Amino acid sequence: MDGHLLSDTFVELTDTMVADFDIIDFLHVLTSRSVELLDVSAAGLLLADPRGELRVVAASSEAARLLELFQLQNDQGPCLDCFRSGQPVAATDLSADQRWPRFAAAAGQAGFSAVQALPMRLRDQVIGALNLFRTTPGAFDADSVHVGQALADVATIGLLNERSVRRRDTLNEQLQTALNSRVIIEQAKGKLAERLGIDVNQAFTLLRDQARNRNQRLSDLARAVVDGTQPITGPADGAGTSRPGARQPRPGLRPRPVP
Amino acid sequence: MSTADVCAAVVPGVQVTGAWLSAARDAQAGHLMQVTDKVSRQLAELQLTLGEGPLLDASASGGPVLASDLADRESGTRWPAFASAACRAGAAAVFVFPLVVGAIRAGVLGLYRDQPGPLSDYQLGDALVFADTATMLLLDAQDRAGGSTGPGGGPGGQPADLASHRAEVDQATGMLTEQLGVSITDAFVRLRAYAYANDLQLAEVARDIVARRLRLFPDPDLSPRHET
Repeated sequence: MDGHLLSDTFVELTDTMVADFDIIDFLHVLTSRSVELLDVSAAGLLLADPRGELRVVAASSEAARLLELFQLQNDQGPCLDCFRSGQPVAATDLSADQRWPRFAAAAGQAGFSAVQALPMRLRDQVIGALNLFRTTPGAFDADSVHVGQALADVATIGLLNERSVRRRDTLNEQLQTALNSRVIIEQAKGKLAERLGIDVNQAFTLLRDQARNRNQRLSDLARAVVDGTQPITGPADGAGTSRPGARQPRPGLRPRPVP
Repeated sequence: MSTADVCAAVVPGVQVTGAWLSAARDAQAGHLMQVTDKVSRQLAELQLTLGEGPLLDASASGGPVLASDLADRESGTRWPAFASAACRAGAAAVFVFPLVVGAIRAGVLGLYRDQPGPLSDYQLGDALVFADTATMLLLDAQDRAGGSTGPGGGPGGQPADLASHRAEVDQATGMLTEQLGVSITDAFVRLRAYAYANDLQLAEVARDIVARRLRLFPDPDLSPRHET
């Protein structure tokens, strides 16, 4: 493991938490750094909704296939088992794993061979899990698991940063706020994708980059985009794609109603 | 089912003393629609008078505000005027749930207890489900007010399951704001109405919109623009 990168990551994460930070952006940084630090291909954070679902709040990539894979684990998968047991759950070779046939098949199709889920724990309560994917089979080394768990713990602390950690109410407030912020970001992704003629993944990158450039919280910018109070321009390299405000469908788009 | 039913059912459902529900149209301030008792009415109105309180915080953050003991230091610091006024009115704990789907704001559901104490995990989960139901009822009411044929709250109308709703539904809603030139609230109403009218699942319609296999067009009755 790259010790320099590790220390940089913790400095970056704690720096983010000092000011008026955005939890979703913070968790995105955390999943991206998890990929770099832990030598995995993809990472995602799932939080438990008190309604009884695990929901993705952040991922190292917004690729739809990856998000599906996280969400699929509401039925079966290492994240669900990890959440229920409060213990780390690993599968070093999904092709030979019998525990979650549907999940293993979907993960295989997406190109993943090994998976690790690490619990986000606060004393007796499990609030979610960090999910790591690798494209090659094999055991996750002990160091990586150790650091991965530390990152999952930092994510938990991030969720609790605003007020006293002892208040259980606060945790639930923060969880719900984070889940709703994620919904706002999805709505903003859709709006930008349609306006600029880009895909939703590109729309997320654009949103995140512009939030950083403007030094604005990601969910605040997302809300402003959805409410129409703050315009967003297209990516610099794709300036010709569309003008802000243009509502015409792109020429390549064929309207086709569902039969 | 009506919003009055939700208020009546949530009180014994999550073991609180009273409930109130106010509706909002997008970002505009809400008006009180339902109260189960006098204290609930006072709690809802106090915050507007005082300009502080869990209701306003919940509207601002988009997340619930759970104050299980209004007499504790935390509540006193958070809402110096509201906390003491609410205690005098007879409330010991207040729980406020914004009725939101992302940036869509339909209103607020407020609950109070005359004894302090947190909602248990189960009660919190149930309160959120009641809040989801109220959200869909309020959006359906807007739909009917708008005159389009929608899922409605009547028999056969199926409220979308907000808890299990997928990222595609949110993305499709965002896309529709552009396609239809409407607010996010109206876009969601139109999305659900389309699914209902065509007897399709919301998730299916959303997936087709995100994959750009389906576009919706502004309602000719409501908009002078006509796309071909």
